[in-house]
Amino acid sequence: MDKIKLRQICFLYAALLPATRMLLYPATLAYHAGNDLLFSALGNLLAEGIVVFAIMLLAGRTEQTFFGLLKNTFGEIAARVVYGVFALFFALSALLPLLEQKGFVTQVLYENAPTVLSFAPFFAVGLFACMRGLESIGRIADIALPLFAVCFAALIFLALPQADFAALLPVLGRGAAPVLRGWRYGMARYADCLFPLFFLGHFRAEKGGTAKVMLSFAAGAAATLLFLAVFYAVFADLAPLQQNALAQIAKYTTAFTSLGRIDLLPAIALSLVLAFALCIPLQLCTHCACTAIGCRPLLPALAVNGALLALTVFFNYSFREVQTVFAEALWPLFGVFCYLLPLFATLLRKGQRRRGQ
Amino acid sequence: METRSDARFTESVQENVKQLKDILPAEDVLVFRFETKDGRRCAAVYADGITDKELLGQLAARPLSSEEAPASLAAAERRILFPESKEAEDAEEAAKEVLAGNPALFIDGIAGALVLGTKKVSLRAVAEPQTAIAVKGPREGFIEDVKTNMSLVRRRLKTPALRFKTVNVGRLSGTAVCIVWLEGTADGEVVRRIENRLAAVDTDGVPDSSYVAKFLAERPLSLFKQAGTTEKPDIFCAKLLEGRAGVLVDGSPIALTLPYMLAEDFQSSQDYFVSPYRATVSRLLRLLAVALSLFLPALYVAAQLFKLQLLPFGLLMTVSGGIQDLPLSPSLEMFFLLVVLEILIEASIRMPKYVALALSVIGALVLGDTAVKAGLVSSPAIIIVALSGISAYTVPDLTGTLSLVRLALLLTAGSIGMYGVILLTALILYYLVTADSYGVPPLAPFAPLVRRDLRDTVYKAGVFSLRERPAALRGKNRTRLRIRQESGAEDPGAKMRGRPASGTETDAGKEEEDG
Repeated sequence: MDKIKLRQICFLYAALLPATRMLLYPATLAYHAGNDLLFSALGNLLAEGIVVFAIMLLAGRTEQTFFGLLKNTFGEIAARVVYGVFALFFALSALLPLLEQKGFVTQVLYENAPTVLSFAPFFAVGLFACMRGLESIGRIADIALPLFAVCFAALIFLALPQADFAALLPVLGRGAAPVLRGWRYGMARYADCLFPLFFLGHFRAEKGGTAKVMLSFAAGAAATLLFLAVFYAVFADLAPLQQNALAQIAKYTTAFTSLGRIDLLPAIALSLVLAFALCIPLQLCTHCACTAIGCRPLLPALAVNGALLALTVFFNYSFREVQTVFAEALWPLFGVFCYLLPLFATLLRKGQRRRGQ
Repeated sequence: METRSDARFTESVQENVKQLKDILPAEDVLVFRFETKDGRRCAAVYADGITDKELLGQLAARPLSSEEAPASLAAAERRILFPESKEAEDAEEAAKEVLAGNPALFIDGIAGALVLGTKKVSLRAVAEPQTAIAVKGPREGFIEDVKTNMSLVRRRLKTPALRFKTVNVGRLSGTAVCIVWLEGTADGEVVRRIENRLAAVDTDGVPDSSYVAKFLAERPLSLFKQAGTTEKPDIFCAKLLEGRAGVLVDGSPIALTLPYMLAEDFQSSQDYFVSPYRATVSRLLRLLAVALSLFLPALYVAAQLFKLQLLPFGLLMTVSGGIQDLPLSPSLEMFFLLVVLEILIEASIRMPKYVALALSVIGALVLGDTAVKAGLVSSPAIIIVALSGISAYTVPDLTGTLSLVRLALLLTAGSIGMYGVILLTALILYYLVTADSYGVPPLAPFAPLVRRDLRDTVYKAGVFSLRERPAALRGKNRTRLRIRQESGAEDPGAKMRGRPASGTETDAGKEEEDG
């Protein structure tokens, strides 16, 4: 119990996770939903918000872990199987963000396109993080919040002078279909609503805790929407061409000044936050695998990092294809794992309620 | 103690002296023989050089020789009127005391020895430590004698809650290691763990407190410090008052404090003697300086090698002009300069003072100016290394760690580029957030965040806001300051905080924050 604090879950939603939606997602969304990209994102955020809310309510009613709840209801073997399946899902859900971040790193942090090996050391950090347990996720969130707040504010501050919000009009001018397509393409990037399910039993639910988490979630959602709005307001019809939005959003303000591309400094600092965020699904994958198999974290951590390194090398030049598969074929899978199963978890047998409640 | 003997003393002086000399055959262990007025033989066995012979003669031998022999050790103790004396019944116990500078006195016809506290050690004066110069504030520093250091602490904390517990560490050195804490303020679990760890040490000698620090460390092989260090009693006492436990080691002027948090090295004693605004600016400067010291060389190399866009155009022109025709790559050039810097620092610490001027000339002119003129290194690189090197000394206790991390970052930047710097930073942060110093994470109060403790870390709040001891240290007694309202007077603290005074604030009901 108490490996992670409620405050740290709040920080996770307010700072760590919005950063992951600032690379290729804005351009992808602009491509599919055009100037209605905010509605697509809002749809994803609302669905995610409902799941987070349900899990937080569940946290208030039980002190057990998700594994404990599964065990109460279906027995230990079934619980292990479910955890094993979730471990695979976390590994799968990490693939797209990994390829996205690899693209960001190789295109933004280097002058010439380097080999995939420049990104490979990430898996050493991933391996180390996987060995540190859930506690490190929370503590890293403590560090990420101020870093994200300062860098995000700096980027928005630099980008705002170039923003023309009229580009977001007319609202729903092309009907609902593009919005739905954008929603479907965004789905793979909203798997983080699942995280608190695996924090169950590892944090102390407190009075008003659900409200705090939901407020933080709203703050993170607002940051995502603000970023998307400013991004589209700056680039309008050119938005789908602006890959790696984090590095592009403020370039018009800084590129022609004597200071040069100072907007890259917050973008580079945010890539630290992005690295932290990318480690979370890997850490949860290791956590699930360890619980399922009943082993120490070294082997699962090695396996997941090794497998994802191999997949990153394999799909090195196939980000678009992977994204299409995720959006066109795998979106029902994400729907089931991210939305349906967590909601289903609220129906599991809770066992004894905690004292004093 | 290596030699062991459980032999008890007899009534014969000759036999007792022989017993003791058998255990301590060294030639610096001498025997002072004299007789009482009625002709009874007495002998004092002492270690030459660490025993005050004058005191022994004046306060022990003179009263005994001028009167008839006492009937018992207790009577002898009363006669000599010695402030520090105790009885020793066996040779091993007496030998220990003799080696500590306290002679063993034997009187014919009385079984046992009287140990006299006449220890005399040549000590240097209590002076300002060279490593912690303060413009304002106390200038006393610890010295190599643990007793003097204990007295320096006792003089500042006149409370029965101040506890000392001395244990001897080292089979051959028998070094006195003193655990210091404030009962009720420090976490008892920390004190217990220190005691256990010291008890578990079986080594031949402890030359300095840095050895003890290694024994007390949770991760002895860590690159990062595991225990706080200070040479100043005022800082030591301030840390005790915050709820830490301290360790004083005989023979070392450097005291240790536990648990250790990284943030405490960014605090300076002077911060508490100047205005909080000035202290806050100083702390932010130290943070910035440490960041510059760590990242500047690496970022310069990464920017040059991998991302020229990061450099403003004017600077880019200057840099490109400077590095034209250089035989070394940017990373090699920076690495070479950092190694030179480390050599200069190492040499300047060890060399005799009278060659300092020559070294400065060689360092500044030959290695700096001439190297640029010869086209071996560029001027921007020298400026960056100099700035990085100087910046590290704003936090003197971390310079060793900083220089190693700086080199690691530089190597990573030179090989992997900017992303390598980011990943190494992430790795270090993962390591630090999950590390543990006696139950306290070294990155507290940042990770885990302890909001209340931030008041004395990144920024320095006014004294009225520092009402509680750091929550991260988990002491039982949290309240550090209470302002009792004078009749008819306003509480100055309340004015500063903008809320009514609360002279009856207690620990109960205070919101628990994690640590």
